[in-house]
Amino acid sequence: MDTLLTAESAVNSPRYRRKSSTFVDAIHDLPEKSELAPAQLYSTESGRLFHSGRIAIATVGLPARGKTHISVALARYLRWLGVKTRIFHLGDYRRAIVGPGTDVPDDYFFVNASASSVLLRQKILKKCREDIYHFLNHENGQIAIYDAVNPLSAGRRSLAKEFAKHDIKTLFIESSCDDQRIIEENVRSVKISSPDYVGWSEADAVKHYLNRIAAKIPHFETMEEQDLDWIKMINAGQRLVVNNTSFGYLSHRIVFYLLNLHIKSRHTYFTRAGTTLEEESFKADASLSPQGRDYAKKMTATLLKHREEERKAILEKGGTETPLKPLIVWTSTRRRTVETSTFLEAKGFKVRQRSQMSQLNPGVCEKKSERRIRQEYPEEVLKHDLDPYHHRFPRAESYHDVAVRLEPVILELEREQNDLLIIAHESVLRVLYGYLMACNAADIPFLSFPRDEIIEIIPASYNNEAKRIKIPDLPPEIIPASPEGIKAPAPPSGFATPIPGLGSGLASPLGPGRGPGTPEPSASGYKTPEDSENLSVRMHDVV
Amino acid sequence: MVMVGLPARGKSFIAGKVKRYLRWTSVKAEVFNVGTYRRTDNPHPDAKFFDVNNPEGEKARKAAAEAAVNDMLDWFKDKTNKVAILDATNSTKSRRQWLHDRIIEANLLHIFVESKCDDEDLIMSNILEVKTSSPDYIGQDPEEAARDFRDRIRNYEKVYQTIDESEKHLTYVKIINIGERVVINLIQDYLQSRLVYYLTNLHIKPRSIWLSRHGESEYNLEGKIGGDANLSERGERYAKLLPELVKRSGLPKDAPLTIWTSTLRRTSQTARHLQQELGWEKLQWKALDELDSGVCDGMTYKEISDKFPEDFQARDNDKYNYRYRGGESYRDVVIRLEPIIMELERSENIIIITHQAIVRCIFSYFMEIPQEKSPWMEVPLHTLMKLTPKAYGTEVERFKADIPAVSTWRPKGSTAKHHDSVSEGMPDTVVGDMKNLKRTGTPATNADGGVSGGNETGHESVFDDEVLGLPLP
Repeated sequence: MDTLLTAESAVNSPRYRRKSSTFVDAIHDLPEKSELAPAQLYSTESGRLFHSGRIAIATVGLPARGKTHISVALARYLRWLGVKTRIFHLGDYRRAIVGPGTDVPDDYFFVNASASSVLLRQKILKKCREDIYHFLNHENGQIAIYDAVNPLSAGRRSLAKEFAKHDIKTLFIESSCDDQRIIEENVRSVKISSPDYVGWSEADAVKHYLNRIAAKIPHFETMEEQDLDWIKMINAGQRLVVNNTSFGYLSHRIVFYLLNLHIKSRHTYFTRAGTTLEEESFKADASLSPQGRDYAKKMTATLLKHREEERKAILEKGGTETPLKPLIVWTSTRRRTVETSTFLEAKGFKVRQRSQMSQLNPGVCEKKSERRIRQEYPEEVLKHDLDPYHHRFPRAESYHDVAVRLEPVILELEREQNDLLIIAHESVLRVLYGYLMACNAADIPFLSFPRDEIIEIIPASYNNEAKRIKIPDLPPEIIPASPEGIKAPAPPSGFATPIPGLGSGLASPLGPGRGPGTPEPSASGYKTPEDSENLSVRMHDVV
Repeated sequence: MVMVGLPARGKSFIAGKVKRYLRWTSVKAEVFNVGTYRRTDNPHPDAKFFDVNNPEGEKARKAAAEAAVNDMLDWFKDKTNKVAILDATNSTKSRRQWLHDRIIEANLLHIFVESKCDDEDLIMSNILEVKTSSPDYIGQDPEEAARDFRDRIRNYEKVYQTIDESEKHLTYVKIINIGERVVINLIQDYLQSRLVYYLTNLHIKPRSIWLSRHGESEYNLEGKIGGDANLSERGERYAKLLPELVKRSGLPKDAPLTIWTSTLRRTSQTARHLQQELGWEKLQWKALDELDSGVCDGMTYKEISDKFPEDFQARDNDKYNYRYRGGESYRDVVIRLEPIIMELERSENIIIITHQAIVRCIFSYFMEIPQEKSPWMEVPLHTLMKLTPKAYGTEVERFKADIPAVSTWRPKGSTAKHHDSVSEGMPDTVVGDMKNLKRTGTPATNADGGVSGGNETGHESVFDDEVLGLPLP
């Protein structure tokens, strides 16, 4: 399946590229040269921004400290800003070179490892670093994230030295934890879901896993090196220590982002506002219509039922007593979104209004039919068709404008510890979804959010996963996605939104007759059989 | 935001900068300086006043802190006010706990900002700066003042407690030796994280920033805006004179300069001789390109007002927020300049050759010019500005090259091609003649309590939520 960057493909064909699609997390995809990122303000010839040079970010920390999570989250943010970033999980290389189902030798991480283990280690490191150099030197890459344990001070010093020879700065990011509960939660949520632990009680599995780490990696030195650039994240972001010898713009920006990041995983739901009395008017800020209220009610019921099912499923697997995080609701300040949240608020859920989440301002296009817009603004329409993401109609906002103004919301999104339901206009959902799933800017205006589905985004440390939850019994006329820009209203089914150009040249994982903009509506979302395999292999890799 | 640290650690400097930065990004901010409150009763105290064993001094200082905190909490009653900065030493744990309790009681968020420094050179250079400009020592012998100030610091050192493990319930950022090491604890929201981001970019080493527009361009002569034209013959002469002009403005000893230009031809051409003759490194920034005037690019103001009369009017009504069709507004420019500002804060001596709107935005950041004024600021061609940050403000010097150029300044309502005030009566033949260099010094402006840079234009802003300011490019 071409939507998963497997270890084999990463190692055996390092310059392997796959096309991104809009319904799986594209964070491990390689962006095309010509692409602009969602919040990128300008591009440069070299593709490198802010005169910050090339940086290798090396993670430091024992397994289950959230290194991969930090790597992926950081890459997501940097890519969103337009910085060419790629993650190199050393584990992928280790796994591929050792071979599937095989573990590394017991002394692999030991300081006094046997000669054969040292050779193996060197072989794996060499392959990974060659790819890093290629990315930074020949693919206009700016930031390579080197996701590895890097447990020893001496090793880190020589790593920084080696990168420096290639004119690459090294920034270490250590994830350190002295709070046993955080470590255990991490192990529970990402490490023991593998088949290795089927039939184990959770507590035993956690204990076994941690013991294995302790045996495998007995030596670990926390970062204290005064002469290196590093950021230490302590207890999932409670405290950060920064050692700055030569920070550039991007390094400071990374600190800023990390200040908003935490390691706990939580779900994000997206849903649209109900239909209103004055559906077409942007300025009117109308209240919900009776149909819209009916939608709000059904959406609420579906969401709560779904969460209850999830809770039960976790309990059945022998999970903790409080498997679900509390749910918080964010709306824009527009009446329709606020009113859509009323049923949830009545049930005691906390609702917050955020003015940055107002829909894309349609400017002169408000209340106008596509035909009229084509008549009145033929030149604008031509420009719009060329670049629907960046073009703005007179007095209107572009998607890019919306993305830039949503940055504080995105950081708050990272900061939020509870499950989160976002009720907003489709234009806002598109942009936020584009961030969470690392979509190409060009695809964002065409993402489709039919009203009869709640989108659920489940973060995993390696990539995010999106599910769609069907809201039953809605009148068909309120379902369609709102049209992109000047496009005519979408066909009523909401499943056949035409998406020109997208997915061409892509071995679509979906059956024929299904537009790629519409994800599989199956209950399991996009979780493919490969996923679970992957997880089990990953288990070997870290330990 | 509560400052913590011994005297001469740059607290007031940081407080002032944070206030200016926030206002530039449309966040209402104010500094409450406990020293100012204390000075009303004790205008020129000597070091004994600050001795912990002097109960009278202790009492007076506590009363000043009370008054400042009360005023600060009152200030928050206006819900549009967002960030108050309490500038004082707050050097003991008990004082910080008292502040913490007062702030929590008022249902506000807090962040303690400690500046800790044990680099003697840095402290001394700070003392020298403060002794000449602190209101405490007005009219006193500088040597005497410096000595007294050192004694004052020693008194504080006796009781100073740095923020440590026992205060881990506080939200704080501890900046050690101007950012060599930073400890950041319990950040609670986005705005706090942004403040920390800004703070970690600051330094207090002495330096200057030179700002100039490009030399007169062919488009300037024709009264056209935008484009990517070459320099005019007079613009070329300015470029040639620039190395001399920069030298005349006073260069720091042994400190390298870096030249920043936009990616447009006219700024690179203007920097050419500077780069060749003085051998400085040059960086091109796309973010320094001129405000994009969209469909109006390449037009004269007259053409714009003929072709888009409504737009022209709309721009005059609210120039800061007006966005050219297919182009940018000043607000947009400020957003894209954010990386430039951060880099400027991090860097030392920089000379920037850029464009009118960009100079206005950068200048406004340093000088705290409000949004309703900054887009109308006059920035003449062929004039070099030197900005030097000082503890209590930024000093501006202007160096005018005696090379005539058109004026591209357009007052509200006017559609004139250009207001040619500069070239009148000026000899056309003084290339390189330094005798005719005019130096106009404007000492430190932007004093505290200046005009607010808040977004008060009535424009429906997208930043008016509790999370304010730039969405960051």
